[in-house]
Amino acid sequence: MTKKSQAIILGMVCLILTIGICVQIKTVNNNGTTTSANQELNNLKSQVLKMREKYEDSYARLEKIQTELETTRSNITNNNEQLKILEEELRKYNVLLGTTEAKGPGVVITITDTDPKDPIRLIIDNKDAVVHNTDILEVVNELKNAGAEAIDVNGQRIVDTTAISCDGNVIAINGEKVSSTFVINAIGLPERLSTLKRPGGYLEILEDDAHIKCTLDKKDKVEVSKYINANKFKYAKTIE
Amino acid sequence: MVLIAIVIGCVLGAIIGINLPIISYTYSTYLAIAIIAALDSVFGGITGVLKGEFDFKVFISGFFCNAILSILLTYLGTKLNVDIYLAAIVVFVGRMFINLTIIRKYYIDKWSKKIEEIKNKKKN
Repeated sequence: MTKKSQAIILGMVCLILTIGICVQIKTVNNNGTTTSANQELNNLKSQVLKMREKYEDSYARLEKIQTELETTRSNITNNNEQLKILEEELRKYNVLLGTTEAKGPGVVITITDTDPKDPIRLIIDNKDAVVHNTDILEVVNELKNAGAEAIDVNGQRIVDTTAISCDGNVIAINGEKVSSTFVINAIGLPERLSTLKRPGGYLEILEDDAHIKCTLDKKDKVEVSKYINANKFKYAKTIE
Repeated sequence: MVLIAIVIGCVLGAIIGINLPIISYTYSTYLAIAIIAALDSVFGGITGVLKGEFDFKVFISGFFCNAILSILLTYLGTKLNVDIYLAAIVVFVGRMFINLTIIRKYYIDKWSKKIEEIKNKKKN
């Protein structure tokens, strides 16, 4: 064994070692985990991270299977005229139910809590400076009133079973926690939807009374995410 | 020679490692234990070179076997709900210290001999 080959082998092992160390440091930094003295806390943290990973994996699988289903369906219905009509109908109802993504012209509304550093916070009540579930509910109602066909709030599609409720210091929509900044995507006639910004409208009330920052942008193409949870009807039956 | 190779390997490894994508958090525990095993192998290798009994086969097989065994132990630990990887870490770090002692003694001997030689030369 010459000195040279010994040096090369040791160098190679060091190479592997430092690659491992760098990747590990990056991974740990990326997940924002700092080693805490508390073992319990560490375990809980890593459990949360693992769960999140699992959730993301499952969600990606679901997406893949859904696109597979979509392609299979379109393949089958390609040659048959009658099935094609049924397919069109299915698609239409899926948009109505909110189980597929929808896109079209519309508006994007963002509602942000008052900045904690804003001096106005010294004057107004803390309670008024944050966005409440009733505010979101009011805005969604106004959007529906103005003819919005599909709405989502921070990625949560508003469907017929959606509840917008207060959940401590956040808001629960479809049972999922969402918090400021709220981005509301709505599909509809942009000119009509933009009337939400009218003087005396709810957005203006929010801005004037609570100094909550609201913006409304008209867009030619708005994408509304789909409803993820599965609807299960246990008691409602069709009338024959 | 060996020292230069180690430094070059570390620098190259750092450059490659920074550009690599991050791994899934689930596997970071296994990577961590593999890193400790590799570190132990490096110390063992340096000791071997100094002692003059460095063997390619022993070194490489030790490197991979230690890493794989420690990863398997970690996996077993997660299944049994025992932090068994701690045992692997204790063994590796313990060996690292022993090897460090050998390396240290080797250099101390070498230098003290050199100093004595210089002193002898001055006397003569």
